[in-house]
Amino acid sequence: MAGEWILDKNHLSYWLRQMRNEMELIAPLREREDIVFKSVEKIHEIVLDCPASIPSPKEFLTPQFEPMLKKTDKIIDLRDNSKRVVFGVRSCDISALRLLDRFYLNGFKDPYYEARRKNTLFISIVCNVPDNTCFCIGLGTGPFLKEGFDIQLYDLGDRYFVQCGSKEARKWCSRYSFLMRRPGKADFEDQYEVELSSQAMFRKRISLEYAQQMISEDKLSDGFWQGVTERCFECGGCVYVCPLCTCYTVFDRAYDNETERIRVWDTCFFKGFTRLAGNILPAEQRILRTKRWFYHKLLYYPETLGGFGCVGCGRCTITCPGRIDMATVVLKMKDEQK
Amino acid sequence: MQKVLTVCPYCGCGCGLYLHVENGRITGVSPSRSHPVNTGSLCVKGWNSYEFVQHPERLRYPMIREKGILRRATWQEALQKVAEGINRVKAAYGAHSIGVLSSAKCTNEENYLMMKFARGVIGTNNVDHCARLCHSSTVGGLARAFGSGAMTNSISEIKEARVLFVIGSNTMEQHPMIAMHMLDAVRKGTTLVVADPRQTQIARLAHLHLRHRCGTDVALLLGIMNVIVTEGLVDKEFVRRRTENFDAFESLLDKYPPSVAESITGVRAADIRKAARIYASEKRSMLFYSMGITQHITGTDNVRACADLVMLTGHIGLPMTGLNPLRGQNNVQGACDMGALPEFYSGYQPVKDPKARRKFQRAWRRKLPERPGLTLMEMMDGGVRAMYIMGENPAISDPDATHVRDALKKLDFLVVQDIFQTETTEYADVILPAASFAEKDGTFTNTERRVQLLRKAVDPPGEAKADWQIICELSELMGYPMHYRGSYEIMEEIALLTPSYGGILHHRLEEGFGIQWPCPNSNHPGTPYLHRKKFARGLGSFITVDYIPPAELPDEKYPFLLTTGRIYFHYHTGTMTRRTSVIEREEPLCFVEINREDAKRLGIRDSFPVRVKSRRGEIEVSARITDRVPEGTVFIPFHFREAVCNILTNPALDPIAKIPEFKVCAVALEAV
Ligand code: SF4
Ligand code: SF4
Repeated sequence: MAGEWILDKNHLSYWLRQMRNEMELIAPLREREDIVFKSVEKIHEIVLDCPASIPSPKEFLTPQFEPMLKKTDKIIDLRDNSKRVVFGVRSCDISALRLLDRFYLNGFKDPYYEARRKNTLFISIVCNVPDNTCFCIGLGTGPFLKEGFDIQLYDLGDRYFVQCGSKEARKWCSRYSFLMRRPGKADFEDQYEVELSSQAMFRKRISLEYAQQMISEDKLSDGFWQGVTERCFECGGCVYVCPLCTCYTVFDRAYDNETERIRVWDTCFFKGFTRLAGNILPAEQRILRTKRWFYHKLLYYPETLGGFGCVGCGRCTITCPGRIDMATVVLKMKDEQK
Repeated sequence: MQKVLTVCPYCGCGCGLYLHVENGRITGVSPSRSHPVNTGSLCVKGWNSYEFVQHPERLRYPMIREKGILRRATWQEALQKVAEGINRVKAAYGAHSIGVLSSAKCTNEENYLMMKFARGVIGTNNVDHCARLCHSSTVGGLARAFGSGAMTNSISEIKEARVLFVIGSNTMEQHPMIAMHMLDAVRKGTTLVVADPRQTQIARLAHLHLRHRCGTDVALLLGIMNVIVTEGLVDKEFVRRRTENFDAFESLLDKYPPSVAESITGVRAADIRKAARIYASEKRSMLFYSMGITQHITGTDNVRACADLVMLTGHIGLPMTGLNPLRGQNNVQGACDMGALPEFYSGYQPVKDPKARRKFQRAWRRKLPERPGLTLMEMMDGGVRAMYIMGENPAISDPDATHVRDALKKLDFLVVQDIFQTETTEYADVILPAASFAEKDGTFTNTERRVQLLRKAVDPPGEAKADWQIICELSELMGYPMHYRGSYEIMEEIALLTPSYGGILHHRLEEGFGIQWPCPNSNHPGTPYLHRKKFARGLGSFITVDYIPPAELPDEKYPFLLTTGRIYFHYHTGTMTRRTSVIEREEPLCFVEINREDAKRLGIRDSFPVRVKSRRGEIEVSARITDRVPEGTVFIPFHFREAVCNILTNPALDPIAKIPEFKVCAVALEAV
């Protein structure tokens, strides 16, 4: 592949600092016992091997609360065109972008997503040690990627194996090629070693094909879905954290002399999400809404966007208070066939 | 993008969350993964807790009412007017004619200052807050039984318990993150028993659901204790070594064999026996309760019966045991701890105790009043002529709302300090704009006594200021400068004067996720569970209670029993949640839950309007036909200003705690 480099770890901060001169640098930082993505003040504080972040990096492409436009005597576009580099995201999140791009940019183009997407450079790091909630392994969405990334880093101990997947990425490598060298045979061996050992470390294997089949062949009873539903807190957390969920709603806020149009994250788990005029609630029964999420991710996403609505990032496993996340429910299907 | 770690402003779980800030605007929220309560989760209110903060309707500048019309004023004008108003009423009628409402939504520092202001500057103990309406019965009931009225154990212990007994708490909807720990425990084999007249979500997930009639909690608990005694399940050694007054208590239990309890509560005697055996035969049994226990005229008795139950079985003073009142508001525990109560200084030091009074007098250099002050309900009953209300909305939250509004109207002077205009500000002479949780530093104390740091994420809108700053400025104007440079300095004073907060200082809270009081000194790590080795008062005291029926039961004219409460999506009077787009869209209308059979009989159709009448007033709401409520009982949430269910509720009070009976009154229904 074109654009492969070796970067000494000691040079990483310098490289990122150069990027920061032109873009906002966002990376995982420690906050008490948590690790969260935010703007970086001190580059040496970046956490280089962080667990899955909450929420997913979609927060940088479609923020939870996003002003769209403002109306005074004219209409002012509030689209965000600022440049960002997000360092330290995971492979699964990058592979989620493929479907997000199809959702937001195929046919009708969502200008807000488009602007942010164009202006955001993602540097992903191959997961040497997956979390115990991760299950990208069976899905081909991680722990390393063959394509679709901007810059992908393999941690080889004292150095990074750098792969460039986009034009912007190649620019940043060739401009700073004096920091790097071309990889040799030993580097390729080490890179392969990382791929192998990382794959061996997964604790969870989830087959979404199996789940898809169970649903499409109608093998799950209503009792099964009722059991799942009873444990749902309707917090919306699974949708908020998922790199592939896109539910949103739009509303207007009136100030003294202007009106602002805002888009916020919404979730299909709420009955009001599909409320019709006259207070008709097509999915008033909660079980319908539970099913909808799973059906959407497992049946309709593949039909409409060409891939499962799940990349196995395991975030819903972390965040769901009722423990009815994708992985748990799919595993449960095994013993609950009709 | 910045992310500021702070605490959720809604319920008493006290979840840790990050506010995301970009260019001075809040653009989102995310949960803290390492926080011991929420461990990476939030409920819907937490996930959406940012949106109201920068809402256009926020109060941005002070306002003064002149000839009935509100006009914008400068801070100086407004505070001058407040000082004059208070001084005028004080000169004419004395300090005791002024009442102060502090707030369970404000920080510890602010509650402490508010009570200092009431006692030291105005010179009255008339300071109270909404805890009067939720857990005053806990504070009083447990103080006498154990010597301390707070949740005894910790949320993170729930996962390891063997039995969870939940009574009068709709935990999954009202304390979702605590329910998360409960469900995790159940998944690992813990037995869950729920007592609730309504079939709530947690009740449906319980191994045993006791569906007793509203207001019969004492009879239910006595029935359970009767079984424990007759079947020899009492922890005799514990009762002998750690408690007193057992004999008097035991003799009363004879009156309540399961058969009698069954006839009062409607719960089958077999289920009462089963519950008793489940609860008593494991050592790691935790008991939880909430408003279903406290909001009755027998609230204090209900709490005492719970206390008796845990002492009888020795389920207290160890991890994974205890009596655990779930506090509603994010900082209602703290507001009580800080002494925003008419009878206590901070740390529950009684104002009647001359030693405590001397201590506060010395520190504050003011003469302090001796007589305990009026409670919230007494203030509303014409006890005062002027009021200073901070962050509360009694015009909706208090029972018999029409009466409350009349009382507010009649005041000579009313100042309200809040983040939005509310139904209460309609009666205010001066409105002071305050900062919200995201705009100031301070501490909140969650339901498990965890004191946590709140951190400023954005600036307050317009000229709004943090409540503590407003109190300081007002105090200075009234001749008592307070000189605090930041809320951490207030905390220092709190630590100095409050033994249970003795070692709690802001800089200690910057690491980890807070400290659980009691924390007597700055090397103390905090206390995850209370009453270890001995009760706070020495020996735990059994208290004899007897069943008393609710004050107003259904009759021919008002044949339904109305019980009130909250729903998952909204919070209290809706000042915040009803300004949050997704949440408001989810539940925009007030409703009444009616049992299917009752609805059929009355010809009421789902989502159609229903008129609900009580002896005090009537409202119109939409019908929600369901099996959640039993026949003969209806439920209405109290969040909605369009249909204030507290117009209907009965202001009958618990004689000790003065808590009103929100959970039972009689109503009639008719289809509109
Ligand atoms: S469904 Fe869950 S595991 Fe799958 S991508 Fe979404 S958050 Fe990750
Ligand atoms: S459980 Fe309570 S504290 Fe936690 S997010 Fe929900 S409302 Fe906030």
